[in-house]
Amino acid sequence: PAWAPRAVPARGRKTRHDPPAKSKAGRVKLPPPVDPEELLVVQERYRQHRLVLSALRAEFRAEVLQKKREERLAAEGSPEELEEHRRLMAWNEEENARQRARREERLRKEEEEQKRRKSEIAEKRARKMEAFLEEKEKEVLQLQEEAKNFITPENLEARIEECLDNPRNYNFAIDKDGRIVRRTVLS
Amino acid sequence: MPMKGRFPVRRTLQYLSQGDVVFKSSVKVMTVNYNTAGELSEGARKFVFFNIPQIQYKNPWVQIMLFRNMTPSPFLRFYLDSGEQVLVDVEDKTNKEITEHVKKILGKSKEMLEKEERERKKLSHPATFGPKKYHLRECMCEIEGQVPCPAFVPLPKEMRGKYKAAMKNEA
Repeated sequence: PAWAPRAVPARGRKTRHDPPAKSKAGRVKLPPPVDPEELLVVQERYRQHRLVLSALRAEFRAEVLQKKREERLAAEGSPEELEEHRRLMAWNEEENARQRARREERLRKEEEEQKRRKSEIAEKRARKMEAFLEEKEKEVLQLQEEAKNFITPENLEARIEECLDNPRNYNFAIDKDGRIVRRTVLS
Repeated sequence: MPMKGRFPVRRTLQYLSQGDVVFKSSVKVMTVNYNTAGELSEGARKFVFFNIPQIQYKNPWVQIMLFRNMTPSPFLRFYLDSGEQVLVDVEDKTNKEITEHVKKILGKSKEMLEKEERERKKLSHPATFGPKKYHLRECMCEIEGQVPCPAFVPLPKEMRGKYKAAMKNEA
C-alpha cells in the first residue's frame, strides 16, 4: 500500500548535508488543503467500512477455526479410534502381566539359588566341624597310646635299669649316595 | 568448536529426526522412573540416554519427567488428557524393545503420519513461486525449462527492449 514506509528514501542527486537550491529560498511547504466537512464525512464512511470489513474477517476466521476443531474432534472421538485405543491398552496390560510373570519367575529362581547356597555353606561348615572333631579324637587316642609308655615315679627305677642294660648306639656314617653304615662300636 | 557431551551425535539434527515415535495428540505427560544402578534398569537407562531426545524432538508439546532411584523397578507412565494413566513395565527390556512397545501402544501409525503429511502438502502448491518463506522458488528464472536469469546469461537481442525500440525507430 502507498502509506507503507519505503525501505530506502529517494534522495536524488544531493546528500542531506548539501544546502537547498537558491530557487527554493522562499519556499513554504503547506499541507494539502482539506475540506473539514468532507473530511468528517469521508472519515466516518471509512470508519464504518473498515469496521464492517474487520467484523466480516473475524467472523470468517472464527468459522474456519470452528470447522477445523470439529473435524479434529470427530476424527479423535470416533468409535474406531476408541476401539483401537482400548485394544492397545488391553495389549499393554497383557504385556505387563507377562513381564510380571517373568519377574516372579526370576525372583523365585533367585530365592531358590540363595537357599541352595545357604544349605551348601551349612553343609560345608558341618563337614569341617566333623573333620575337626575327628582330628581331635585321633590326637586324644594317640596321646592315650603314648601315655602307656610314659615314665612315672613308679616305674622310674625299672626304666632306668632297662636303659642301662640296653645301650643304644646312635652313631652311623653316610655317604653322598645315601647309604648308611653302622660300623662304629659303642665304647 | 568442540563437541559437547559423551555422545554428541545425540545432538545432531539428523539423529533427532530419525526418531519415529510420534505420540497421539491425547498424550500430554510422559514420566520415566528408573535406577542409575542395576542390571535390570540397563534398558531403561539406555532409553533415557538415547531415545528420549528423539521423542522430545518429535513431540515438543509433551512434558517428559525423569525420576531416578525412587522405585526398585523401572517403569514408564503416560498421562492422557482424558485422565487415563497408562503404565508400562520396562524391567529387563532393551531400549529398542521399549521404543517399539511405546510406538505400538501410543504412537501415531504410519498411515496416519502419511495422511497428515499429505494434508500439509495440500496447503501449498509446489509450482508457485514467490518469497522463500512460502514457496520453493523465488523467481521464474529459477524454474527448469524457463528463460534463465539475465543476471547470469544475457538475453538474446530480440527479447531486449533496447533492440525492439531501436527496430521500431528504424522502421
